[in-house]
Amino acid sequence: MLIVLLLIGGGVAAGLFGSLLGLGGGILIVPLLTLGFGLPLITAIGVSLVCVIVTSGAAAGVYLERRVANLRLGMTLELFTAIGAMTGGLIAFLVPERFLELLFATLLIYVALTMARRRDPSLEFDVAADDPAIEGGDDDDPTVTRLSGPGYRVRRIGFGLVGRAGAGVVSALLGIGGGLVKVPVMHVVMGVPLRVATATSNLMIGITASAGAIIYLLRGGIDPFVAAPTAIGVFLGATLGSRTAHRMDIRVLRGLFVAILIYTAWQMLQRGLS
Amino acid sequence: MNGDAGLPPVAPAAVTIAADPLERTIARLLTAGTYGSVAVLAVGTAMMIASGVQPLGGGPGFDLGRIGDDLVHLRAAGFLWLGLIVVVATPASRVVASLIGYLRGGERLMAVIAALILAVIALSVGLAIGLGA
Repeated sequence: MLIVLLLIGGGVAAGLFGSLLGLGGGILIVPLLTLGFGLPLITAIGVSLVCVIVTSGAAAGVYLERRVANLRLGMTLELFTAIGAMTGGLIAFLVPERFLELLFATLLIYVALTMARRRDPSLEFDVAADDPAIEGGDDDDPTVTRLSGPGYRVRRIGFGLVGRAGAGVVSALLGIGGGLVKVPVMHVVMGVPLRVATATSNLMIGITASAGAIIYLLRGGIDPFVAAPTAIGVFLGATLGSRTAHRMDIRVLRGLFVAILIYTAWQMLQRGLS
Repeated sequence: MNGDAGLPPVAPAAVTIAADPLERTIARLLTAGTYGSVAVLAVGTAMMIASGVQPLGGGPGFDLGRIGDDLVHLRAAGFLWLGLIVVVATPASRVVASLIGYLRGGERLMAVIAALILAVIALSVGLAIGLGA
């Protein structure tokens, strides 16, 4: 019973932290389960993908209801993300665990550096309207018009599709949503306003994680006794975080988060190199 | 960069454009699938605690044929696997709903894209089963 409660508690912490800092739980769940509970990395990644789908589903529903997410653009891009995720899910069972650990440590360092340099995340939701990146489009292609939304026109769709495939591979390999790749590509390269990019990424993450999770599920990479309590915890934590985000001093939290990421990256590196 | 899947922060103002029927349907499907799956997982977890299962000892393997029997006999594994299947299937069901919506609306390109996404998911299942065997 204690272990179940610890898994739920760990999931709540991961979901809460992730939600407050604008990340999914995946980046924290994998280290929590491997370093904290001693589970094999492949099991932790499978469980993490389940948690990512749960939080994505709840968030995407709200975003769609509010019409912030661009469904057509999301579906077009997620075709390639799903192909990438399928590939990543297959690769994950072929490569040595040590390789995945080192890759995950690299990801943690990247996220820590990104978070350390970031301004107040709450400001990011309002930059889209004045962002020069959203001005203009490639041409008058009716497909581009159809994929664009009110106040913006998507561009460089080809590049975006390649970026999506890469995000899918990373997602399924490491058990994360892949938004760390998707959002910047969509916003900076394709000219989608940040708020729409974030919402659309959330929508797409469900399919990305699902395409990877199916492979983990059918190949024995998901342990239901661990996945269920962790997913419940992440869901509760993310829900709590979404309701309290505006009341928190994110700067202090971010500093703590960066420290945790660096410590975790160090632990993961040691495992990978040992 | 709200990169991964976190629930949307409450503070930023929502865009208040009237939702189109397809998007509203999909939003409700996603919400129902998520809350439904979490509820089933919660039941399974409660049963797991009640039966004194040690979660880190390795859970039961996935066997689709056993889930029905586990559910009928009120075994935790049945509820846990059912919840996990609903979790994994919810995004795909959203694509199915999109496919139907786009076909009805005469949006051929989007219908083809939705069908291709489903084909990739089906291929994932096929490859996982094939390689597992």
